[in-house]
Amino acid sequence: MAKILVVDDEDSIRLLYAEELADDGHEVVTAASAIEATEKLARNTFDLVVLDIKLKNESGLDLLQKIVKERHEMPVILCTAFSCYKDDFSAWLADGYVVKSSDMTELKDEIKRILAKKAR
Amino acid sequence: MEWECCWAFQEIAPEGCPYIAEGEEELYTAHKRRVVEKCLECPRFRNDLLKFRELGYPLATIIPFIVEEFIDQKTRLQSMGSFLNSKTREIRFLHELNVVLQTSLDLDEILSVAMTAITAGKGFGMNRAFLLMADKERQFLKGYLGVGPRNYEEAWQIWSDIGQNDLTLREMARNFQKTKLASEKVKFQDILDQLSIPLANHKHIFNRTLRDKKPVLIKDAFTNQDIDPHLSELLGVDSFLIMPLISRNRRVGLIIADNCITHKPITTHDMQLMETFTFPVAFALERASLYERLQEEVGKLTVANEKLKEQQELIVKMEKMALVGRITSSIAHSIRNPLMIIGGFARSLLKTASESDRNRKYLESIVREAKQLEDVLEEVLGYADSLYPAMDTWDINQLVTSAFDKIKERLEQKGISWRFDAAAGLPMAFIDYKQITFCIKTIFNAVMETPGISLVSLVTRLEGDDIVVEILDNGLAPPWNADEAGLPDSAFEELGRNLGLPLCKAILEKYGKPLLIEKRPEGGTKYTITLPIRKEGE
Repeated sequence: MAKILVVDDEDSIRLLYAEELADDGHEVVTAASAIEATEKLARNTFDLVVLDIKLKNESGLDLLQKIVKERHEMPVILCTAFSCYKDDFSAWLADGYVVKSSDMTELKDEIKRILAKKAR
Repeated sequence: MEWECCWAFQEIAPEGCPYIAEGEEELYTAHKRRVVEKCLECPRFRNDLLKFRELGYPLATIIPFIVEEFIDQKTRLQSMGSFLNSKTREIRFLHELNVVLQTSLDLDEILSVAMTAITAGKGFGMNRAFLLMADKERQFLKGYLGVGPRNYEEAWQIWSDIGQNDLTLREMARNFQKTKLASEKVKFQDILDQLSIPLANHKHIFNRTLRDKKPVLIKDAFTNQDIDPHLSELLGVDSFLIMPLISRNRRVGLIIADNCITHKPITTHDMQLMETFTFPVAFALERASLYERLQEEVGKLTVANEKLKEQQELIVKMEKMALVGRITSSIAHSIRNPLMIIGGFARSLLKTASESDRNRKYLESIVREAKQLEDVLEEVLGYADSLYPAMDTWDINQLVTSAFDKIKERLEQKGISWRFDAAAGLPMAFIDYKQITFCIKTIFNAVMETPGISLVSLVTRLEGDDIVVEILDNGLAPPWNADEAGLPDSAFEELGRNLGLPLCKAILEKYGKPLLIEKRPEGGTKYTITLPIRKEGE
C-alpha cells in the first residue's frame, strides 16, 4: 500500500480522507496548508499527493507547480469542489482530477489507477 | 409713272403685294419695314429700277449696288444668327450635361446621361455608342455598356418613341436608366465581350488613343491598316469615333460612337464637339467609381465597427461570466464541502453499522440525500457554466464520443450494453461545446435511472440543415411524449428528482429545436437533440 499526503484546509475533510484511505490500507499524512505540505514533503517521501485547489489564502495549483518542478516523479491528484478547473491549464499538470464527493469511490479508483501506473 | 412694285405706297391693300405672307399683315401699313423686308428683294422692284435707268435718273445706276450689298449683308447676318443659335443650343446642351455630370455620384446615372447625350438627337445624335472601362486592377479595358439600336426596325421604333415625347436630356437619361439600362447591358453583351482588350496591348488602337489622349475619327475602317479587321467586322461600320476618357492622367476608359443605321458621315466638327464632352464624363465616371469604392470602404468600416461593438459586448459578457464563475465557485465551495463531509462520514459509519443497527436506516437516508444534493448541485453548476455560450464549430461525433467515454464505464458496470452508430462525413455543428456535452451527459444520467434497461443506442445523422443526435433505450418508457411544444410540466416530476432534463430543455430551446422525448413503439424511450450546422457565410 502507499504513503499518501492529503492537503486540505478543512479539518473534517482531512479526517474523512484519512479514515477512508486508511481503510484501504494506505498510510495517510495530512497537511492543512501549502506551507505545512511543503515542510512534510521535504521531510518525508510520499507515493502520492491528494491536493485541494482552494486552500486558505493559498492556491493548491501553486503548490502543484512547485511539486511538479521539484519532484516531478511524484503523482498528484487534484481533489476539489470545483469542476471548472478541469479546463485550467495549470490543472493539467496533475495526474488526476476528481470532484469532491461524499462517495469516494472515484477518488479511490483514481488513486489505484495512478499507483498502478507508477508501479509499471 | 406706273410702278410694278408697291414701294411707292404708304399703305397697300391685301392684294397689293403677293410676297406678303400670312402673319405678316402688319406690312400692309408699315411702309419702311415693307420696303426693307420685301421690296428690296422683290423682282417687281428690280423691274422698277430698270425703268428708273431707262428714264435716265442718275441714282438709278448706283441703287442696285446698294441693294445688292444690303441683301448680301442681310444674308450674312442671318447666317451668323443661325450659327449663334446653333452654338447657343450646343452650349445649353453641354451646360445641362455638365450640371448632371458634376452633381451626380451615381455611376449608373452618369452612364445613362453620357450615353443618352451621345445617341440622342438633342445631343450629339450618333446612332450607337459603346463604353469601355478600365477594370479596378487596371489590367483590362472592358466592354461595359452599349447603347443604340441593333437594326433598322429597332431604330425606327426608338426614334418614333422619342419623337412623340419632347423630353429634356435629363428626363431622357432618367427614363433610360429606369427602363433600359439593364437590358442595354445585355443587348450588346456579345459585342462588349469582344471589345475587351488588355491595357498592356500597346499597339491596339484603343490603347494608342488612350496614350495620345486625343479622339480619333476612323474612316475607311475595312481597309485601314491601323485598324484590326476583327474590330471593323465586329462594329460593322466603315467610320467610327474613338474618344478617350482621361481624368487626371488616369485612363478611365473610352467611348466608341458610330452611325451604324443612317451611315451619316461623322465630321471633324462632330469629333471636336464631343471632345469637349469627354473630359467631364471621364471625371464624373472616375469620381463615381471612387465614391462607389468609398461606399464599399464605409461598408467595411461599418462592419468592423459592428464587430468591435460585438467584441465590446462580449467583453461585458465575459465580465458577467467571470462574476457568475465567482458566484458558482463560491457556491461550490460552500455547499460541496459540507455535503461531502456529511455524506462521507455517514458512509463511513454505514460501513461499520451492522444490519440490525437501528441507526442504519438513518445513515442510509443521510447518504442517499447527500448524494442527491450533490447531483443537483453538479447539474446546477454545469448549467451555470453553460449560461454564456462560446459558439464555435465542433465535430459532433468527437463531442459525443468524448462525453460518452465515462458513461460507457458506468453502463458496463450496470450490465447495460451499448452501441454508437456515428454518421460518417457529418458537417461541423455550430454550438457551445460545454452546453451540448452537459445535455448529452444529463440525458444519459436520466437514462441510467430508468428501470429495465439492457441496451442503450447512440445515433448521429444529418437531417436537412441539422445534425440529429438520438439516444435510445429499451427501458420503461415515461407515460408521456414530449413533442415540439416541449416537456409537459408533469414530466419534470415524473423524471424524478433531477433538474438536468429541464435544464437541457432550456439550453436546446435556444438552438431553436427543443429536446424531444418520445415513447418508442417497440418499448423504451427516444431522446432527440437537433443541432444547427455552420452554414456558408455565417
